[in-house]
Amino acid sequence: MAEAKKVRRSALDPAVADLLRGMQQKQTESQLPRREREKLSKERAKIQARRDQRATYDLPPSIRDGLRVLAEDLRLPASQLATLALARFLDDYQNGKIDLGQYKQPSRSPRYDWNLVFPEEIIFAARRKKTTGS
Amino acid sequence: MMTMIFAFANQKGGVGKTTTAVTLADGLARLKRRTLLVDLDPQGHLALSFGLEKSPGLYRLVCLDEPLSEVVQNIRPNLDLVAGDKQTEKVKRQITLADFRETILSDLLANSGYDVVLLDMAPSLDVLHINGLIAADWVVIPTRLDALAVDGVKEILTTMAEISQNGHRYRGYSILPTFFDRTTRETLIQFEEITRIFGSNVWPPVPQDTRVRETAAFGQTLWEYSPDSSSVEGFLDGRQRLGGYRQVLGRMLEVIDG
Repeated sequence: MAEAKKVRRSALDPAVADLLRGMQQKQTESQLPRREREKLSKERAKIQARRDQRATYDLPPSIRDGLRVLAEDLRLPASQLATLALARFLDDYQNGKIDLGQYKQPSRSPRYDWNLVFPEEIIFAARRKKTTGS
Repeated sequence: MMTMIFAFANQKGGVGKTTTAVTLADGLARLKRRTLLVDLDPQGHLALSFGLEKSPGLYRLVCLDEPLSEVVQNIRPNLDLVAGDKQTEKVKRQITLADFRETILSDLLANSGYDVVLLDMAPSLDVLHINGLIAADWVVIPTRLDALAVDGVKEILTTMAEISQNGHRYRGYSILPTFFDRTTRETLIQFEEITRIFGSNVWPPVPQDTRVRETAAFGQTLWEYSPDSSSVEGFLDGRQRLGGYRQVLGRMLEVIDG
């Protein structure tokens, strides 16, 4: 069996590698037909625009799963359900319908004064309702 | 702690040696590293870059045998300068006539007490240049990305190889692309070429930036005049920054701290 040709690779500084990759990609794109260039440019703009809509929070797995299951049942994007839930919460909070005081406990973290400690029925409500409903 | 000596060298002129030495020296000093800058170029531009007059610091050190502590000028917190001027030409003549002439600068900088010494070399290949390369632990080779400047990189590396054959051990070298314009095809061709040949020895590039020229005119460093400029912060690529003197300073610290 013929031995595979061995190619020596020299590791690059990660920033140099990223920059080089980006420049090569742009160079390749510049040689594509106009229609394809425009398509790629639109896709890039779309990704760029979505970047500002991204957020990362730590959630209890039961909440995340509850949201995912509901989104699948309703055949909706989970992000839109999360948006609705958060918008409703912010509105309720500003109208004094939600009192965080009952969940607040002092935090030992240097970054925060308080933690919210939730009773189990809140955390597991979404899953339980789904389970009992089905 | 041992002193780490960096030489900024390229026989080609106008590639950003002095700006790079000034910016990185001030950057190190701001990180509380005791730093010495030495001007080995008779043009004496290091002093001007800090808004000072040229002066014969190197001449006094080498030709008049004055101690290092008396010829240095404290120019910023943690940052001292051995300035140069046209009298540096006399230093070359003096060194040429001396015994053990290749190691004169190395001997003078031994036990200097600084954490880091940066040597700003002249665009030439003379006895002072050789002295600088022999004194150095690490050589930083700033280069524009055009064929002629890249040839200058090869010349420096050839000289370093000859010095190594005579027993000097370098800890390493880095190639620093400067005046980097990522929109041109020629930049990409030369960038591909030097990364193919020199691999991980290529440091992240410094973008072309008119702020650098303004900075020199005001006698301030980039950290003072324009710390948010692209030459400091690099190119914005999505959420990350690529290149720029801040990232280069990080690479330098990795070298210093091992």
